Amino acid sequence: MASTQPLRRTTTEGEVEVKDAVETQKPWNVIVWNDPVTPMTVVVVIFRKIFGYSNNKCTQLMMAVHHEGRALVWSGHRERAESYCVKLQVAGLQSTIEQDN
Amino acid sequence: MVGAKLFTRRRDGRVEVRMNDYGRSVVKSAFENVLAAERDPNHEWHVALTGPIDPSLDQDNPLSMLARQNETSTNAELASLTIDEQFLNDGEAWAWLTTLQVALRSTAQSNGLLTDEQLAATNDEILTYVRMLQQFLFDLAACF
Repeated sequence: MASTQPLRRTTTEGEVEVKDAVETQKPWNVIVWNDPVTPMTVVVVIFRKIFGYSNNKCTQLMMAVHHEGRALVWSGHRERAESYCVKLQVAGLQSTIEQDN
Repeated sequence: MVGAKLFTRRRDGRVEVRMNDYGRSVVKSAFENVLAAERDPNHEWHVALTGPIDPSLDQDNPLSMLARQNETSTNAELASLTIDEQFLNDGEAWAWLTTLQVALRSTAQSNGLLTDEQLAATNDEILTYVRMLQQFLFDLAACF
């Protein structure tokens, strides 16, 4: 009744699930919105303090906020995006997060 | 208050406050309003302080909102505690900057000043107050 065949597999073909594409989570973006009262130098100082970016990068981001009404200032994991968003709001800038399309 | 810088960075690293009594009274009032707005849901600035973090959600992450509330209150408390100081360390100066900025944006939002046109059309009293806070912030930001 018991099989005398050895319990040895000759192949694993068909047993390994093959995924064609690697699934990655879309990053979360931190957005800063323009307002008509905040002095430009204040925005630059806040970006520098919170993100540690260079003065040039902070100025470019500030100008993007000013001219386009909003700017993406950081992108990455959701938890860090939320944390940066909170820091920006605490510093008095209008900021939100959104998942990358 | 016009002409001289209201804040200067000294060689020893501290920020010197060169404001007269009137200037300090305006700043003190702004700090107190931020603190009150954090604690009182009926305060006219409260809405400005509690905007959404992720507008796509019906309800934001409560932990993030709590963190924001704590940090805003801590900055405003530290700023209020140091309102009579002539010299501020880095942390205190940052608390002044952020609390003044929160006060400025809350003033704008509670008065419907969301565009340049609305700001230009507002009444003289509000405009004068906004310009004053902007000048404080401009001089303080130059210290960082």
